[in-house]
Amino acid sequence: MKLNNKILVSILAGVLLISSNACTDGFEELNTDPNNPTAIGSQYILPFAIEKSVDRYWGGSARFERLNLDGAMLWVQYLARNIYSNEGDSYGISPAFYNNTWESLYDDGLTNFERIIKLSDPESASPNTNFEGIAMVMKAWTYSLLTDLYGAVPYSQAVSGAAVEPVYTPSYDNMESIYAGILADLKLANQKLSLDGPDVSGDILYNGDILKWKKFANSLTLRLANRQAAKKPAESKAIMAEILGSPDTYPIFSGNEDNAMLIHTATRPSNNTWNEVMVVGGRTDWNISKTFADLLNDTSDPRIAAIATEVNGGYSGVPNGLPDAIATTYLASSSTLAGRFSAADAPSVIMTVSELNFILAEAVLDGDISGDADAYFKKGLEASFDYYGLTMPADFIESLGTLDRETVLTQKWVSLFGQGVESWTEYRRTGYPKMPSADPRSIFENDGMIPTRLPYPTTEYSLNKASLDGGIAINGGVDNMQTKLWWAE
Amino acid sequence: MKRIVLLNKILALLLCAVVAHAQSISGTVSSEAEGPLPGVSVAFKGTTLGTITDIDGKFSLEAPSAEAILVFSAIGFDTKEMNIGNKTSFDILLEVDNKVLNEVVVTALGISREKKSLGFSQQEISGAALTEARSNNVVNGLSGKVAGVRIGSNGGPGSGSYIQIRGASSVSGNNEPLIVVNGVPMQQSNDKQYGGGISEINPDNIKDVSILKGPNAAALYGSRAANGVILITTKDGSSTKGLGIQYNANFTAERPFVKPEFQNQYGGGNGYRTWYADGWSGVIQPDAYDQYSAAYGGINPGNTTATAGTDESWGAPLDGRLTRQWWTGTDVAPLSPQPNNWEEYWETGTSLTNSIALSGGNESGNFRLAYSRLDQKGISAFNDYKRDNVTFGSSYNLNKWLKATYNGDYIKTSGNRNYQDGRQFVWAHRHISWDRLQDYASYEDVHVQRARDGRLADTDPPNWQHTFFTNPFFTNEFLPTTNDKDRLLGNLTLNAKITDELSLLLRSGTDLWTDTRINVTNFERVRNGNQTPGRYREEVLRRQENNHDFLLTYDTMFNKDFAFVGQVGGAQRTNFYKRNYTNVNELVVDGIYNLSNANPSQNTAESTIEKSEVQSLYGSFQFGYKDAIFLDLTARNDWSSTLPTNNNSYFYPSASVSAVLSDLVNISGPVLSFAKVRASWAQVGNDAAPYQLSQTFRAEGSWDGSVPQYYENIELANAFLKPEITTGVEIGADLRFFKSKLALDVTYYDQTTKNQILGVEISKASGYDSRILNAGKINNKGVEVTLGGTVLSSSSGFKWDVSLNYAKNQNKVLELAEGLDTYTLQTRRGLASIATIGQPYGTLFGIGFQKSPDGQIIHANGLPQVDGTPQALGNIQPDWTGGFLNTFTFKGVSLTTLIDGRFGGDFYDEGTATGRWTGQYAETAIGREEGVIGKGVQNIGTAESPQYVPNDVIVAGNQYYGYNSPRRYHEAAIYDGTYIKLREVSLGYSLPSKLLSKAKIQNAKISLVGRNVLLLFSNTTHIDPEVDRYGGNSQGFAYGELPSSRSMGVNLSLGF
Repeated sequence: MKLNNKILVSILAGVLLISSNACTDGFEELNTDPNNPTAIGSQYILPFAIEKSVDRYWGGSARFERLNLDGAMLWVQYLARNIYSNEGDSYGISPAFYNNTWESLYDDGLTNFERIIKLSDPESASPNTNFEGIAMVMKAWTYSLLTDLYGAVPYSQAVSGAAVEPVYTPSYDNMESIYAGILADLKLANQKLSLDGPDVSGDILYNGDILKWKKFANSLTLRLANRQAAKKPAESKAIMAEILGSPDTYPIFSGNEDNAMLIHTATRPSNNTWNEVMVVGGRTDWNISKTFADLLNDTSDPRIAAIATEVNGGYSGVPNGLPDAIATTYLASSSTLAGRFSAADAPSVIMTVSELNFILAEAVLDGDISGDADAYFKKGLEASFDYYGLTMPADFIESLGTLDRETVLTQKWVSLFGQGVESWTEYRRTGYPKMPSADPRSIFENDGMIPTRLPYPTTEYSLNKASLDGGIAINGGVDNMQTKLWWAE
Repeated sequence: MKRIVLLNKILALLLCAVVAHAQSISGTVSSEAEGPLPGVSVAFKGTTLGTITDIDGKFSLEAPSAEAILVFSAIGFDTKEMNIGNKTSFDILLEVDNKVLNEVVVTALGISREKKSLGFSQQEISGAALTEARSNNVVNGLSGKVAGVRIGSNGGPGSGSYIQIRGASSVSGNNEPLIVVNGVPMQQSNDKQYGGGISEINPDNIKDVSILKGPNAAALYGSRAANGVILITTKDGSSTKGLGIQYNANFTAERPFVKPEFQNQYGGGNGYRTWYADGWSGVIQPDAYDQYSAAYGGINPGNTTATAGTDESWGAPLDGRLTRQWWTGTDVAPLSPQPNNWEEYWETGTSLTNSIALSGGNESGNFRLAYSRLDQKGISAFNDYKRDNVTFGSSYNLNKWLKATYNGDYIKTSGNRNYQDGRQFVWAHRHISWDRLQDYASYEDVHVQRARDGRLADTDPPNWQHTFFTNPFFTNEFLPTTNDKDRLLGNLTLNAKITDELSLLLRSGTDLWTDTRINVTNFERVRNGNQTPGRYREEVLRRQENNHDFLLTYDTMFNKDFAFVGQVGGAQRTNFYKRNYTNVNELVVDGIYNLSNANPSQNTAESTIEKSEVQSLYGSFQFGYKDAIFLDLTARNDWSSTLPTNNNSYFYPSASVSAVLSDLVNISGPVLSFAKVRASWAQVGNDAAPYQLSQTFRAEGSWDGSVPQYYENIELANAFLKPEITTGVEIGADLRFFKSKLALDVTYYDQTTKNQILGVEISKASGYDSRILNAGKINNKGVEVTLGGTVLSSSSGFKWDVSLNYAKNQNKVLELAEGLDTYTLQTRRGLASIATIGQPYGTLFGIGFQKSPDGQIIHANGLPQVDGTPQALGNIQPDWTGGFLNTFTFKGVSLTTLIDGRFGGDFYDEGTATGRWTGQYAETAIGREEGVIGKGVQNIGTAESPQYVPNDVIVAGNQYYGYNSPRRYHEAAIYDGTYIKLREVSLGYSLPSKLLSKAKIQNAKISLVGRNVLLLFSNTTHIDPEVDRYGGNSQGFAYGELPSSRSMGVNLSLGF
């Protein structure tokens, strides 16, 4: 073979090898994600966002970050730890607790609720006022959780990371303005939600029942208006009057079938988070708190049989905050949670008709609305007994004595069992129920004070410091678990 | 042997017979010192024709023409050329090569170059150095031998190791070097459980390993070489004369390396009580009242609970009192210490490797066919790993100018890699005998299990408790984590010698593997009255990387002084990945692991596909002057599919110079025998991972198995990504003293990676977790020193060689995204490893204790006080690393010892801290009954004007030790990672050739080898500080890892 031929053949082979594929025209197509869509319908986002935010609120299944089980349920003395009392029961919590609660409520919940609002607003390709309304209600509830947990939080600039003009370091808003924003949103949501409007699917909370969503929106409005009533009396009264004055426009919960609660299923991970922790995970770390058992025993409240297990022919609890060596001695000798709470298909309760009636009873006593406080109180109790499949004993109300704020709020506390976060918020607002003095053997952190809020996430310290400093200043200057929040009376 | 030589001669004669005008020549090659030299290459210049001298240094062949030039070459000797003319007999005397630096090394693109011409730092390790004191993962053998190379390994069978050369240059991306086998990249994985990549290579196939350290050495490999390259050249048949057979057998046995210091005074449980009732902390039943009272002096019927539900060791003193235990049923047995239960728990791991290679070569080509089998048993029961390598390599001269080469390695691996951690000794009962637990089946009938009213009775296999743990021997056997992997790594190459100066290489290579992983996660059982079905996961992975490249080389001398090598080339690389995953949550029939044996509504499935492509053009130009000054220039342009189309092309050049001063100016003398200085500058570009340019929605399971769920990706995509660029400068000197008996190599480097493609964490209140950004600028600078030499060399044949290496890397984060001063690398339990501007990467940031001005922990009521504001608690970066290698040889005996160490660098070890919190370790036995006084101060003044005095408050032991909990008190779990280890010892004996020749054996060597022989120094107790859980950018975390192991063994190699 001649030299020229060699060169020719070699180069030809090389050119063939490379040029057969050497073209970058196909790169854009090649780099199009074959796994994940760039657009999706709201019906697929809604169930995710509801499940994630409700699960986080009701339990959280990862140890050290269970908002309800490692925090609220212990602090309002529904439950007490029989071991590892330094995981929440002694008022100490891990950074994962307050970091991940924050992250999940914003990024799993609010990001997707906001996305549904954008996907279904009138300007969008697929307008749907009912999706819009549902997402607004869920967004309002999630923000109310966040601000009630932490105090000032990013609100007006929050969840704008993907906006046209993105905000990566949102500033903090004070609770007063967040409440105002939430209340306005709920009102708008009630307007958007229309029984004649388009269908929604993927609604795992109310299965597309728009009337129930409207009831939830308005009941939640009453909860929040009542919460801020002492700080903003005129506005709150006006809101309550408007709702109660026009029940056709503003329907509210009328029975337990209206309750906002996520009814779980036996198919993991759609099971109840307490089931995941206690049954699937096999954790047996909790007993009924002595405070709760004692109060129900004192009032001969039959609901204890529905909530706690019987031990040695009765119901007894463990004092909160005991060191492990003492707490473990109570392990099996005091009542634990009844199986209904750890069933796979147990509900995660957001708001009930019982709570609504306690709210209205308190509002009458406070002079925020007119009406019959006794009637609301009775309705609240009846609904709670009914929820457990019980009938209230005829003399039960009578045995509680004269109706005053303390009675209403103490019975509200009993009725809220399970809804640790709401109960803790109401305790922080009103100081009720009056908690008994601590067991002398117990050891508490936080100077022995029941936590008043959650500390801000460590990620905010590293990622959003300037805004965070503003938030801390709004709350009163320090970021700890002893600062009283805005609505505290 | 003789027959083979004869055969070869006949073959050579036959071949030569076809060559016209052949002229028979023969001769002897010898040296003054060693006499006749076997194995010297005798070749005709410019051809591939040639032969090798026999055992007596004799050769004979046919010369093509009288003009031909004979070239005699052998390692360690100067190459000699001889014109044939009319001579037919040659007596050649070779001179010993004093310029050791004439050694030839393989550099980027597989180009062989004289080491002295390199303008950058490169270190070579011979295959033999990796095979004797072997680790089943070749790369572990580099530990301590190469300056600046850090290896993170663990003891699991078939496990992967994390490799890092110099510092970490990328905050979020891959910091591992590129692995190149015979010129073709191999996909590397540091997966601890499944290994992959370099861990699948058979060490016996390796001829040598070459480490190109910085971007300077690697500019021509493109993107993935920014962190250096590990070039592996496998053995071929070219050095075999005739037919050669090489056999190697290696057997090692291993045991855990560091045993924690346990306490053996108190049993499992709480409140000084140890009592098993039903594996949970249930109430003690009436049938045990008398027994319990006898042990503890009383019982509170209906209230006193058992302690098995507490997986800690705050139980009864191990004083022989009679208690119920998991294995006694309704009987009692003395509670006694089990100081050896650590030894009982771990098996003796074994590895047996058998390799056999058949090779042959002649003028027309060569081949090597090898098979090896590794059978490994892990230190935890039922864990194993099997690896078969079938390797074939051959090259053949199709004609005078065209050569074809094939290299292929088919690798089959499988095994059960179920056990990945040692948490059985972190959450544990100290009084447990693991020998007895291993024999759990014998206790099925005796063992008491929970049977609550109205619930199903429990059916768990017998265990020391049931609340949190399942018997690990049962799990390892019946809930295995297995895989079956097939891999083909190979390439086809054509070399065309177009003219004497011009040649073309065409190459096509693939690395293809598919892996099926089956992980049984549950068996049908009743636990705490709850029945759960059998469950398993099946994952099928497939990855393929194809590389096609060409390289045109022009190699010439302009006159006597000027040499030029120019190369231009191009490459196309495509990557494909596919994952199919099914989680079967409910098997219909337990024990049959088939996807159709499932309740489909309970299944979850996931699937991922990834494709990407990079095209490249590159060139390299080397100029040499008087074989003493060298200038290298390279340039490369890549086009990547993962970047935006308007920004997907990036160019990066490099330049290096080196000058052999001792050749240029006459400075060499009795002290200094050689001096070379080098300097280089290089850039390497890097692309992104696929699909980061547009915002997507992700599927996540379903509600109730029926309503599909999607969510918005919380990592914000970026349509405007740019390639990231690493720029490095390196200067170095290579000095030899005392007739090259002492060699010193010093390198200083400074490299900066900018425009890093990062998933930058942002405030979660933005609604998103992170943004993909071109952000970040990280600088690494450091010094590497290698000092080697012969300490002693006596006339009796005794020789002592020493090699020392030292590396110090300083890492600094210069910039992150705008407005961002911290990047989070890894978070666990609220403790974060972060990169903060102005600080080295990997600061451990978390919750610490309050300190007095003089740094002592402040106590209140005898307990340490927590500082709620997170703070910097340590940093994962070591101050420096080094190794010290000694080789002693005397006649056929050689002894090698390698000591290596890491100095500084912290890690967060949840395991050790938790073991203290749960009362496992010796220090927690102190003051248990009397109480303890924490070391530190207390404030007896006011908060405003504190007055610190030594803490004198006694608190209960378990309460105080609880302040080791790594989940709340991160500072208590931060430890110093310093260690010095006797890493390798090998004692070898080469049998004398006279003895062997009678048995027709060419060479034979037997060695006794040990790895991780001794931990000479450590600042931490209970654990090997070289521990690491995540590797990669998430180094510095550990939690009850599978312990590292010490291995001892024997290696036998035979050549026929």
